[in-house]
Amino acid sequence: MPFTAHDLRYRAEQSYPLLYAYLHRNAQRFLGALKYDAFEVDTVIGHVVEQLVRLGILGGEDRTPLTALDNLSDAQFYAFLSHSVRNKAIDRLRKRRLQVSSTAELEGSDDSEADNNPITDAVESLWGTTPFSTPEEITLRISSQLELRNVLKHCILALNAAPNQLQAVMQELHEFGADDFILLLAEELHFSFDSERNPHISQHKDHAHKKLRLCLQRQSSHLTVAVALRITMYTVKHPTEKNRYEVPIQMLAQDDFSVQDVQKALYALVDEGLIDWHGEQKVQLSSDQLKRLSRFYKEE
Amino acid sequence: MNDETILGGSSELRGNYQTLGLWLQQILQRPEPSITETATADNDGEAQLELTLAGNYHLSFYQQLPDFIMALLNNDLQAPLTYAPLLFHLAACRECHSAYLDLYSSMHAAVYPIATRPLLGQGTRTLSATPHRMLSHLSQSLISQAEAILLQARHEHMENDAAARSLLQLALRVSAHITQSTLRREALKDLVRVATLFEQASTSYQSASSEHSYTPVLATSGNTRRGAVVRRADSSVHAHTVDNAVIRLQAQSLEGNIVQRGEILELQLHNLEESLRGSFVIISVFLGSLLEPVRWSGGNPGAIMSVVPVDENGTLITPLGTTDLRLTQPEERNLLEATFMLLNIHKHV
Repeated sequence: MPFTAHDLRYRAEQSYPLLYAYLHRNAQRFLGALKYDAFEVDTVIGHVVEQLVRLGILGGEDRTPLTALDNLSDAQFYAFLSHSVRNKAIDRLRKRRLQVSSTAELEGSDDSEADNNPITDAVESLWGTTPFSTPEEITLRISSQLELRNVLKHCILALNAAPNQLQAVMQELHEFGADDFILLLAEELHFSFDSERNPHISQHKDHAHKKLRLCLQRQSSHLTVAVALRITMYTVKHPTEKNRYEVPIQMLAQDDFSVQDVQKALYALVDEGLIDWHGEQKVQLSSDQLKRLSRFYKEE
Repeated sequence: MNDETILGGSSELRGNYQTLGLWLQQILQRPEPSITETATADNDGEAQLELTLAGNYHLSFYQQLPDFIMALLNNDLQAPLTYAPLLFHLAACRECHSAYLDLYSSMHAAVYPIATRPLLGQGTRTLSATPHRMLSHLSQSLISQAEAILLQARHEHMENDAAARSLLQLALRVSAHITQSTLRREALKDLVRVATLFEQASTSYQSASSEHSYTPVLATSGNTRRGAVVRRADSSVHAHTVDNAVIRLQAQSLEGNIVQRGEILELQLHNLEESLRGSFVIISVFLGSLLEPVRWSGGNPGAIMSVVPVDENGTLITPLGTTDLRLTQPEERNLLEATFMLLNIHKHV
């Protein structure tokens, strides 16, 4: 093999000429009638090169984390590169609104290959059956999966500190007809709609949306919600005290979180007033606190 | 995992989720500029290849995409939970979602290949033999990536200077193989700006008010004859002949040179103003810390003290450091020239 993913990562200067040559051959093959347009060929190659740099594959050395791409076999990696070129070539062909008169025009020297007619294939399905292929599909999945919906609830809960923004968001949810969801939140937040409409509601809504966007994409939000859910799952009755429950931090961490991560999440839950905890090795809760967590995060 | 869509909830529930999903989509999708499209070919054929992602790029999420996609391809049902912040981000960011689709398609083809044979061949073996416009594009990509890493580190209050520095060094080395000065200038156009993002640079280099900022007069190399045509680092057309073994510097009307005497790099400045005459000056080579083969006088390229004061004619001749690189070698000369992309001097007090 002339170069590998490992070569690109650790010996970028030496392997780039070989990468370029490989991408160039594929770009010419997939660009069909545009294969002699140097700008189009460069555009396709440049797209893939930039992608590799962004992913840390090209020149990332040990300073950029390894990804699943680094673990592909050489043959798989070449297939990955070839398909990346193909996708961009199709994109360019579409943008140039190329009038293709015949299939042969698109075919290169090795016309026996199944993916050698990119346009025809692309018309059928460019992406195939790709999960999360649209934002609509993603948001439907998020809202229909308890663990992900919990993050949404958690972030709306955090708006409690800004009552006008909370009003704006709840009003908006109401307008969308998400009344079941409002009921669930209202109980936890002791929320009721204002009798008069706030004249600055649009502004409050914008601020609330911004906060929600940040909160939803933050790792710490997901950690906090995951730990809250684990508390509801793994807490057991205190051996001696009545109406008290407890769970060791280590049990909350399991195999995928560090103890430090769990501690951060616990402090967040303390800030939200959901638990009392002062750094002990076990988290202790009253039965009321456990019921509240369960109601909110398990939707019981 | 509790997924009502997969496990089959009631239609009433599904309706609620759809409503909630629509609302979520509205709050996540803010109006954003469309994806920066690669430059289209102009009629004059002078179009430069531009970066696709430059300003619309979310490093920490983007680099999770391959692992997320591989988990999906392996039918890992926990993937949406494990990568939940990324999933929310994909619903919010058009560019990253587009990159996700692109990568998914390619990784799917890699993991479940149709019978294809790779178009392998020998190709070119050296950077110099690779089209220089693509070397310029690679340098720009590396510099842009370094910027993304530095901005991300700053955002997260972390330090990731080593990763960014390594990419800038690679960009410098790649650009050194470009013989055409305009392409080399294009390749390194963002280098100084990105280097200012280093915390060290922003404190030590910018705090001192410089009296003069010199930039090199970029030379077209690649031939061994002396007397190449040069252009100034800015866009003004200013052609004259230079000796290839000299790096010419300009600061408005002032001129200077960097010459090599054996291993020593020597700075020669002329016509410095009255206020500097008789004084020692501090020289800062802004990108000096990027180039490891130069041993800078005093050890800090940001504060090199002149060994003599500026003479009564306004001339200063002082060593900057030593190196094994040779100005007579085109690629090594290009490397040194890029390092002197910004050289400041100010009076030592």
